[in-house]
Order: sequence, then C-alpha cells, then structure tokens
Amino acid sequence: MASIPTALHLPRIRSLPPLIRIRFLNAAAPPNLQLDSFSSKLVRLRSFKIRATDDSLDTGDEKNVEERAGIEVEGNGVHPQRIALSLRASINTLHAPFLRLKRSNFGTKYSLGLCIALAAIVVIVVRQLVVRSRSRERQGSVADLVRRGQLRSDRRGISKPLRYDDPFNNPLVKVGKGDSTVEMFGKVYRLAPVILTKEQQSSHQKRRSQVYQWKRPTIFLKEGDDIPPDVDPDRVRWIPANHPFATTVSDIDENLARENVYQKQGAPFRIRVEHEALQRKIEALQNRQKSNKASTDPNGARDFGSPINSKPQEQLETNPSADQHHGQGTAKPDSDEISLTDELRNF
Amino acid sequence: MASSLHPHSLPASFHPLPHLSRSLIPRHSNRKRSTPIVVRSVLQWNRKPELSGETPRVVVVTSGKGGVGKTTTTANIGVSLARYGFSVVAVDADAGLRNLDLLLGLESRVVYTAAEALNGDCRLDQALVRDRRWPSLELLCISRPRSKLSLAFGPKALTWVVDALRSRSSGPPDFVLIDCPAGIDAGFVTAIAPAHEAVLVTTPDITALRDADRVTGLLECDGIRDIKMIVNRVRTDLIRGEDMMSVLDVQEMLGLALLGVIPEDAEVIKSTNRGYPLVLNQPPSMAGLAFEQAAWRLAEQDSMQAVMVEEAPKKRGFFSFFGG
Ligand SMILES: Nc1ncnc2c1ncn2[C@@H]1O[C@H](COP(=O)(O)OP(=O)(O)OP(=O)(O)O)[C@@H](O)[C@H]1O
Ligand SMILES: [Mg+2]
Repeated sequence: MASIPTALHLPRIRSLPPLIRIRFLNAAAPPNLQLDSFSSKLVRLRSFKIRATDDSLDTGDEKNVEERAGIEVEGNGVHPQRIALSLRASINTLHAPFLRLKRSNFGTKYSLGLCIALAAIVVIVVRQLVVRSRSRERQGSVADLVRRGQLRSDRRGISKPLRYDDPFNNPLVKVGKGDSTVEMFGKVYRLAPVILTKEQQSSHQKRRSQVYQWKRPTIFLKEGDDIPPDVDPDRVRWIPANHPFATTVSDIDENLARENVYQKQGAPFRIRVEHEALQRKIEALQNRQKSNKASTDPNGARDFGSPINSKPQEQLETNPSADQHHGQGTAKPDSDEISLTDELRNF
Repeated sequence: MASSLHPHSLPASFHPLPHLSRSLIPRHSNRKRSTPIVVRSVLQWNRKPELSGETPRVVVVTSGKGGVGKTTTTANIGVSLARYGFSVVAVDADAGLRNLDLLLGLESRVVYTAAEALNGDCRLDQALVRDRRWPSLELLCISRPRSKLSLAFGPKALTWVVDALRSRSSGPPDFVLIDCPAGIDAGFVTAIAPAHEAVLVTTPDITALRDADRVTGLLECDGIRDIKMIVNRVRTDLIRGEDMMSVLDVQEMLGLALLGVIPEDAEVIKSTNRGYPLVLNQPPSMAGLAFEQAAWRLAEQDSMQAVMVEEAPKKRGFFSFFGG
C-alpha cells in the first residue's frame, strides 16, 4: 500500500539529528569515563546541558548566544569578542557544544570531534544523494515508458530487469496463531469469515434469473440485413453499419474461416492463394513468351522472376524475428513478397 | 436486491472467533448459521497449487463496467498461473481498445492477431505471442488496434480459436483466460461464448455492483454457472471508517463466491507503465500478493473463506462493548 514506503522512510530521516548529538557526546567523553556507570551519568548530564544550549540556539536568539559564549569563555581567559564573532560566522548550533568542550579541558579532543562531525555531515550528504538518485531510477516511472518506446522524448533512466522471487515462499506474509490474524508487510490484519451460504447463493441466482432474461446472440447482422431462415430472431445481435471497430462484412465464408483457424501447418490460406495466382500468372507469361519469342519484352518476365530468385537470402534475414511463434513453421510474412518466397520454398 | 446494510445483534449460536472481542465481529454476522465457522488461512505458500477441473479451463474475466481492472486481473492471474507452472493462453478479446499486450509488455511483439488467423493471413500458432519471461504464457490479441474486426462469424470466432487450442499439437493449454471488453455489446458476447467459467471483477461501489449483477445474470442465462468474483481497489482504511462498502457487503449484494480481494495499490499503475505485471514485482506488493493468491484459488477451484480486515480502532471497541 501507499503508506509503506513513507513508513520506512520517516524514521530514518528523523533519526539523523540525534545521531549527530550522540557522536558529539562520545567524542567529548574520554574513553576511561565511558566505561563506568557513574561517568555515563555524567555524560548524560552533559548531554542534557548540550541539548539545552542547542535548543536555545535553535531559536535563533543571537544575543543570547553572544552573552553565553562570553560568560563561558571568560573563565578560561579566551577573548570573548573574537569567539562571539566566530560563532556568528559559523553554524552556531553545531559549534556551541565544541566551544564548551574546548574550555573544559577537552581541548585535545576538539579536532577529533570536528573530524567526526564533518564525517557525519559527509555521510548525511552522501546518503541523501544516494536516496535521491535511487528515487530517480524508480521502477514503473515515466522512464520505463521511455524505455518501452511509448514515450519518445526525454530518455532518462533504464530500469534493470527483475529477479523473480520464489512464489512458494514469501517472508512478508505470516499467518498468525489460530489463523485468525495475518501479518502482511508488517501490518496485522484480522480475518473475518466469509458467511455466504449455498442457499444465499442460489437465492441470488434465482433472483437474477427472474430479473434478467437473455439469450446469447449466435449471429451478428448488419442493421437492415435479412435474418437467415434457420435463425432465431432473439439470437441476432444487430451491429450498426458504422460501428467503430467492427464490421459484419467478410470476404471469406464461415467454413473457410474455421479451416483457417484450425490449420496447424503449412502456408496460411491467403498466402497459398496469392502464390497460386502468381504462379499462374508466371506460367501464362512463360507460355506467351514461348509463343512469340522474338517480340516479347524481357522486362515483363523479370518483374515476376526477380523476387522469387532473390528471396532465399531475404528469407534468412527475416527469420530471427520469427519469435512470435514457437520455432518451427514458416516465418511470419511481413509483406506479401516475403510470404510468397516462403511459400515457394515449401513447394 | 438484498442489499440493505443492517445494524444488529449477534445470535447466541454465532461464535466464529471466540477469542476476538465482539467489536471485531463483522456486521454481517446476523446471518443464521448452524455450524461454527472455521476460519481457514487465506494465504498458502508452501506448496504448488493443484490444477482441478477439466483442461483447458476457459475462463472469461468480465465486469460490465469499464475500468474496474479486468485487464489488470487477466495479466496478473495469467502470469501467476504461468509462474505456478501451468500453461496459459491469455486472450485479449477487446477488439477496439486492446491493452493486455501493454500490461504484459508484449506490445512490440504482436504482429498477427486472431483476425488475421481467421482471414487466412497466418496460422493461429503464428498469432500467439510467447512471453519470454514465462514461456508457458502466450498472448493472443483478437485484432489490431486500428483495424476493424470482422464480426461476420459472430461469437463463433473465439469458440473456434479455443477449439483449435484444445487440439493443437503441443497439447492444450491448462488455462485460456479471456479478457472481456467492457459493456454487454457484441464484444462481450464474443468473449463469453467459449467460456465455461467466469471471473467477475468489481469495485466496491454501487455503479460497478449494478453492472456486475447484470453481467452475472447474463452469464447465468448463458449457462455459465461457475462465477467467482474479485473485488478490486479495496481500501481497508475507508472500510474501517465505514466510508466504503466492505468486501462482505459486496458479497451480500451479489451472492457470489470470492476469488480474491485486491487492495488499491499505487504499484498497479507503475507496473502498467513498466509492462511488468504486478505479481513479478520485487519486493512484492500487496496487490500483487492478492492477485497471486487469487490465481492460486482459481487453479484449485477454491474460494476465499475469510477476508482480511483492518483492526478496528480501540475506541470503538470500548463503545461496542456496551452493544453499540
Ligand atoms: N488495485 C488497483 N489499485 C490501483 N489502481 C488500479 C487497481 N486496479 C486497476 N487499477 C487501475 O485502473 C485502471 C483500469 O484498469 P484496467 O485497464 O485493468 O481496467 P479494465 O476493466 O480492463 O478497463 P476496460 O474496461 O477499459 O478494459 C488502470 O489505470 C489501473 O492502473
Ligand atoms: Mg481492459
């Protein structure tokens, strides 16, 4: 469902600022202090302090910042104005805790802390970039339409093919004890029993049989046509002559159409017919050629002869595209010419 | 129609789920039932489904109303069945507005259609497009998008096609799934002609339900008795707030066995864009799993014994404790 991705995302994003804070603390506390519980309490106290300053800084009360910086630094004998200025210049939220650390004898750790802070920032930025690029190549997006040739412009990403999971083993679905609940994608659903009985089902059927009386049409006729004698008028479906994508006219009869569908091998009917017609034409031409050898124009014969002679190579070329059918059989004729040679080869 | 939704109390004999609080028992539970209900798991994963019934199983996917998800259902159930190891021919019987090829991502490979086979331009096996991902799945389109389909053979055309598939040399397919066009026009008549069973797709809204009831009536008139429904685009959150008919409400109105309940899922449109049926999504999506399960039940001629319901909010449970 739509809520799943957000549910996965939000906690991750929210967790980032606390992560930074924790890192500062770890950097701040000397290793020996981190070991015992007392010092961990100390650290917690300190963390509270830091967060308190942090929060007030977040409000953006700059005067307050200056004041506090001044007061805190005085004790250590550092020039207050300069620090206040640098504070204002830098990202004040991040630097305030460091200032405190420096003053309170963790000076050696200052650079280390800074390094870790920078590393954290780099990690955050990289992560954001990764997330963003990943969302850009999201599957099922417009980019996929581009890949499939449905959209021509704007060639963006090309999604990689999927690996198929085993349909018989899905870890995202857990059926609860007693089969009364099911957990899907981490969400628990209750199972409510289906209570439709056979009697209800048949009473619905009875109701429908009374409401709807219908005979499925067995013949489609164009409006205005005569009904054939052996046809029940109730079983005729009238198709308007201007139906947008259907027509009731066909140039072959019913038996032939059925034969065509049932045909399992060999050249399709129409191709065979066309081929035979062409062959007759060639024969007629050859006969005429024989009768008046001298006066015939040789170009006429070549017109029919050339496609036949040149086809075998073309045939080989078109074959690889014959993936629509299952290997054997003749290649699909893309045009009448190809199908003809195809046909001729079979003969 | 027996469609009124009634508030009520439970009969004393009704104890479907004794360990659940009363508030969780569905509103429909006032139906008289002599035997206690055993809720079977709606989900099965640990075995291959068994094919039941005579093959080829000719199933028409229909709805009456347009745009409720017939094509989505055909594509996903077709791919699921192929994944389960059955051979499937998916027939796009929508002459004017075919789009099953798009959903399956096979649009560029459709050269011939059933119309050409009828016409003698190709053989039927040349018109079948084999899916390279799942070779046991084949697609047959009934006609090209911009050409007129000859209806001169009436509804017999698809019957011949199915007969030809039945007797083909590579063996009959296990399933012939027919994606029916919307409406009850000539296209509908053609699509249902060869079918022995039907999957009725509906959404839980009143317009779709009325059409669904009508179509069910027509199918029954035609002698198709095995009709199961798929309720699509279900939003459990809306149902919980009683802003949407529940699946059991739908069942009460139509009186049909449930083949599947498909949640509303944004992944559906994404998978359409990709030409990759939802059930192939990695990681799987809710709707994909639901389609997969529906395919499972179709193969086994089973129906849902229980539906998933989102837990009721705690507050309402408190009030219903007092009979609310
Ligand atoms: N469970 C679902 N969640 C979200 N969107 C859905 C869901 N099922 C279907 N849709 C969307 O509904 C639209 C229509 O679906 P589909 O094409 O399958 O319907 P149809 O019944 O075949 O339509 P037609 O009557 O035009 O043939 C599609 O855009 C699809 O993405
Ligand atoms: Mg459709």
